[in-house]
Order: sequence, then structure tokens, then C-alpha cells
Amino acid sequence: MKATNIVVSLVLFALSAGVLLGTWHLPYWADFAPGSAFAPFWVGFAGVVLAVVLLVGTLSEHDGTPHSFPDRRGLMRVGGVAVGLFALLAAIPLIGFIPAGILFCLYLLLGVERRPLLPTIATTVIVIGLVYGVFVAWLGIALPRGAFGV
Amino acid sequence: MDVLASLAQGFEVAFTPTNLLFVLIGVTLGQLIGALPGIGPSAGMALLLPVTFGLEPVTALVMLAGIMYGGMYGGTLTSVLVNVPGEAASVMTAVDGNQLARKGRAGQALAVAAIGSFIAGVGAVIALVFLTPALSAFALRFSAPEYFLLALLGITATASLGTGSPVKAMIGAVLGLMIALVGTDPIQGTERLTFGSLDLMEGIDFLPVAIGIFGIAEIFASMEEPQNMQPVKTRLKDMWLTAKDWAECRMAILRGGLIGFVIGLMPGAGPTVASLLAYVVEKKASRHPERFGHGALDGVAAAESANNSAAHGAMVPMLALGIPGSASTAVLLAALVLLGIRPGPMLLTEQADLVWGLIASMFIGNVILLIMNLPMAPLFASVLRIPYSYLVPGILIISLVGAYAVSLSLFNVGLTLAFGVIGYLMIRADIPRAPLVLAVVLAQLMETSLRQSLMLSEGSLSIFVERPLSAVLALLVIGSLALPVVNVLLARRAARRAGVDRLVSHSSD
Repeated sequence: MKATNIVVSLVLFALSAGVLLGTWHLPYWADFAPGSAFAPFWVGFAGVVLAVVLLVGTLSEHDGTPHSFPDRRGLMRVGGVAVGLFALLAAIPLIGFIPAGILFCLYLLLGVERRPLLPTIATTVIVIGLVYGVFVAWLGIALPRGAFGV
Repeated sequence: MDVLASLAQGFEVAFTPTNLLFVLIGVTLGQLIGALPGIGPSAGMALLLPVTFGLEPVTALVMLAGIMYGGMYGGTLTSVLVNVPGEAASVMTAVDGNQLARKGRAGQALAVAAIGSFIAGVGAVIALVFLTPALSAFALRFSAPEYFLLALLGITATASLGTGSPVKAMIGAVLGLMIALVGTDPIQGTERLTFGSLDLMEGIDFLPVAIGIFGIAEIFASMEEPQNMQPVKTRLKDMWLTAKDWAECRMAILRGGLIGFVIGLMPGAGPTVASLLAYVVEKKASRHPERFGHGALDGVAAAESANNSAAHGAMVPMLALGIPGSASTAVLLAALVLLGIRPGPMLLTEQADLVWGLIASMFIGNVILLIMNLPMAPLFASVLRIPYSYLVPGILIISLVGAYAVSLSLFNVGLTLAFGVIGYLMIRADIPRAPLVLAVVLAQLMETSLRQSLMLSEGSLSIFVERPLSAVLALLVIGSLALPVVNVLLARRAARRAGVDRLVSHSSD
């Protein structure tokens, strides 16, 4: 956990510095009232303080708890889902939400979960049917359409 | 009497066929969401919030609230039958519930959990009926300084009363405040941290944050290992409680319910802390503490009564003050805002039908849940035999459609995925996610009331201690910040003493 905590404190420090620098050009106090940079300043300041507290606390720990990241196989499974989701996002403008959703279901169940074909197809039909029935037919939400016009 | 008349009016609203149907849908979904490991009630509520866009506000709220307290009942199933808590508030149930199941007493464990949850839940709703109007009337005296301090207390209390590291809980809250800063300044209208992006000009919507941080992140975490659940079988006839079982558990239900309700009222504590505390108290009060951890029926009763009672108790500050005390009530508050309703002390007078309809629906929902968890428990237990991997694509696609439906923009879908990754990294780094979501919800109220207060006082901080009410709130904020520091100092002192005692005993040897 020691390495994880050090990374967390460094990321928090960078984000806080980003908030402080990103609002530096805005007024902290405008005439008789706090300006637009007032809240970002204090949030950024709190972030810096917490980053330092976590860093100092972690470095002064003698026997830290082990970190809780998954093994290589677990990371591959999580990575597989994440890659699939970002690919789905990229595919939506090209082929539409529904076809991209079908491909995602098949990829996840056959590629990542290694499930048999027939239950995979049945699951895909149920999921897409549910999305279409609730969001498109009932709520009237116009999901993005792509090259197939669906 | 006014309260009872309002409640009767609430029952009229709740008993309309549409609202009854959506109470049933809400509690059934809550029961299923609570039972399935990998997705909790807050995530379920966030995922299903877009489904409510086409509904009347009261119908939408009774359904979402049903998911919230239905999740408390559903979590018991997986805890007892599989030894995997369906949601965090059922962790203590798993300790003794699964031991009972291994001894062939799964039915009794489920029955006592259902009856305890029902009694504590109905008791908490009765308390809610009388407490909410009183607190709401009292809160009409609040002005900007009190609102700022109350919102701040909501965040600092999450850090000091939570179960993990207070520093990490505060880090979660600061991250939430940073997310909420993006967009347009609520008072002066200046762009902040948008980095020239038009999509960020109106700020980051709550739903992509909640769906990503809770829903997608929990799916990522559950994907780390294949989920092969082997639930213990249970039959209806095993669910009868003997007079001895009942005598053993009735005080545990009462104590658990009371502790749960009080903890639920506190900002930031929530059902998880409530069940943990109720379990510890019950172990101390029990005539047979040695059974705890090895299958104590009263341990299950206390933990389950407390978590359901806390889920209902957390509704009091949300309805009366517009301040959510837990992640689930934060989602419920966001739903109110998305449905065009302004939360706060005026809610009870401006939207009486909605508030009383919601409260009345909780009585109905608890009765439905009792039926679902007593005669129908074996049926719901059979749902656990569906391999989890077949549910994952559906949950993920509905999450993304929900994020898209908020503003019909793929940018929000991208944000949801990004927050999903952030939420997963937070889980792995042991940073609690509830403070982040609470901070996103409370940030605007906090900033506006802080700036209004300082405008009124011309920059003097004395405005936060001038009125007795604000002074008390300021003290509570300071107390909640000091509590973790005091705890650390006491723990160090105890460790030092233990070290000295060991040295003394070694030298005497």
C-alpha cells in the first residue's frame, strides 16, 4: 500500500496544483465579495495539505499493509472490459448505439468471459431488447444511429 | 394531528395504481440489486435514474427509494447463502449468517433478518413521519452561514465517522469538490477549469460521476476474478422461528433499529457504520457473546435491523434540510434536482404530496419486502444461481445509455467511462467513493452559501459564530475534524502503554 499511497499523494498534489494554476487568472476577491477563484483556491489548498499529510504519514509508516491490486489474470480481465467499453464509445458514431452494443455484448461474453455461444446470443438479445424497449420505445430517447440506420 | 392528516394524504398518493406498481418495481429491483454482489443500491439507483425521466416526480422517487431500502433486504440473501455481502451494509450479516447456513439454519437467519429489517424499517418510517416536519420547521431559521456549515459538516462527518482512513475520505471529498468546480461560477458566471471545452461549460453532470464512480467501477472490481457462487439451498419450511429464537432476537432488533436510526440521521455515517456498531453493541449486550462470529442469530438480527433503519433514517436530513447523509440519499437528492424540484426546508410545504407520498410508500414497500423475504425468499435465492457474467453486459450497456440520456451527448458517455476508471483506482487505493459523490452534490450549496455569508459580513469570519445555531454547527465541524486526530493519538498512547506493559512483564520474568 505504501507505493499506492505515494502515487495517490503525488496525483492529488498535481491535481491541486492544476486547480490553483487553472484559476490563477480569476479574481480571488471582487470589490466586496469573494470572487470566482475563492473556492478553487481553498479546495486546491486543502488538496495540497491532504497530499502532504498522506505522503508524510506513508513515509513514516514502518510496516505498511500490502497493496490490493489483482494478479495478472485479473488485470487482463479488467483491462479487457475497459478496452471493450472505450472501443464501444469509439464505434457508436460510426455504426450506431444498438449495433455497437450487440458487438460489445458478444465481445464481453465470448472474448473476455469465455461463455458458450447459445447463452451468449440469448443474453445479447435480452439486453438489447431491454435497452430498445425501455429507452427507445418507452422513453423515446433517440440513440445515435450509424451507417446501418439503426 | 396535522402530521397524521398529511400522512393519510400521502397514502392516497401512494395507493394510486401507478405508484403502487412503481413501489413494487423499486423494491423488487432493490432486492435483486442488493442480492447481486458487485453492485450496491447507490449504483443501482444511479443506473436506473434515467429510466425515471418519463415518470411523475412522486412515482420516480418512490421507485428510487424502493431500490434504496430494498437493497438492504436483498443484501442478506448473498451474505447468508454465499458468504459474499451483496452490499457493504451486509458485511456483518455475512459473519454470522453464513455460519448459521453451514449449520443448516439458513432459513432462520433469513427469517430473522427479514422480520428485523421490517420492524426496524417501519419503526424508522414512523420516526421519520414525526421528525421530518419538526426538523424542517426548525430549519426555516437557517440562513447562508448555517447552510454552509451544514454542508461542510456533511462532508467532514463522512471522513470522521466512516470506516476507513479519515485522510483518504477527505481526499475523496476534495476530489468531488474539484469535479464540481468545473464549469461556470454559480455567482459571477465566469468559466472555471473548462480549458476551452464547450462541453464542460455547464459543468460536469452528477449522473456520469455517480454511474461511473459507483456502477462501472464496481463492475471493474467484480471482473478481477470469475464469480462462481454456490449458494446454500434453503426451503420455506426451514424459515419458521421458534419461541426461543424470537426471545433471543427481539431485543437485538430493538437495539439495532434504534442504533441504526440515530446513525442514519448523522451525516456521513450510513447503513454500513450502523450495522457494524449495532453488531458490536449486541455482542456486548448478549448473554452468549462467544457465539458471535460462529453463528449468532441475534448478531444477524441486530446488523440487519440497523442497516434498514439507517437507510430510512438518512431520509430525514435529506427531506427536511436538503442535505444528504449517505451516498444513496445523495443520488435521491440529485434525482429531485433532475426532476425540477428544489430540495430544502420548503420542500415539505411546497411539495407536500410528493414528500408524504414518498413516506407513505415506504410503509407499503416494507410490507412488500417482508412478503418477498419470507415466503418468497427461496425464489429470490434461486436468482443467485444465474452466472454473474451474464448480467455484466446488461449492467454496462444500461449504464452507458443512462449517461447518454441525461444530455443526449456522447461526451457524457466518455466522462462516465473515465469516472469508472477513476472509481476503480479509488477502490484499489482504498479511497472511499461516497465522500466524492456527496461533495459533488453539496459543492454548489457550499460555495454559494459561503460566498453569500462572506458578502453579508464583508469578509469577516465571525458570521459563522455570531448566531448560536451557526456556532453549534461550527463546533460540530471542528469536532468532526478533530475526532480522527484524537482517535490516532489515543491509539498511539494505547500502543505505547501496551509496549511498556510488555517490557515490564518481560523484566519481571
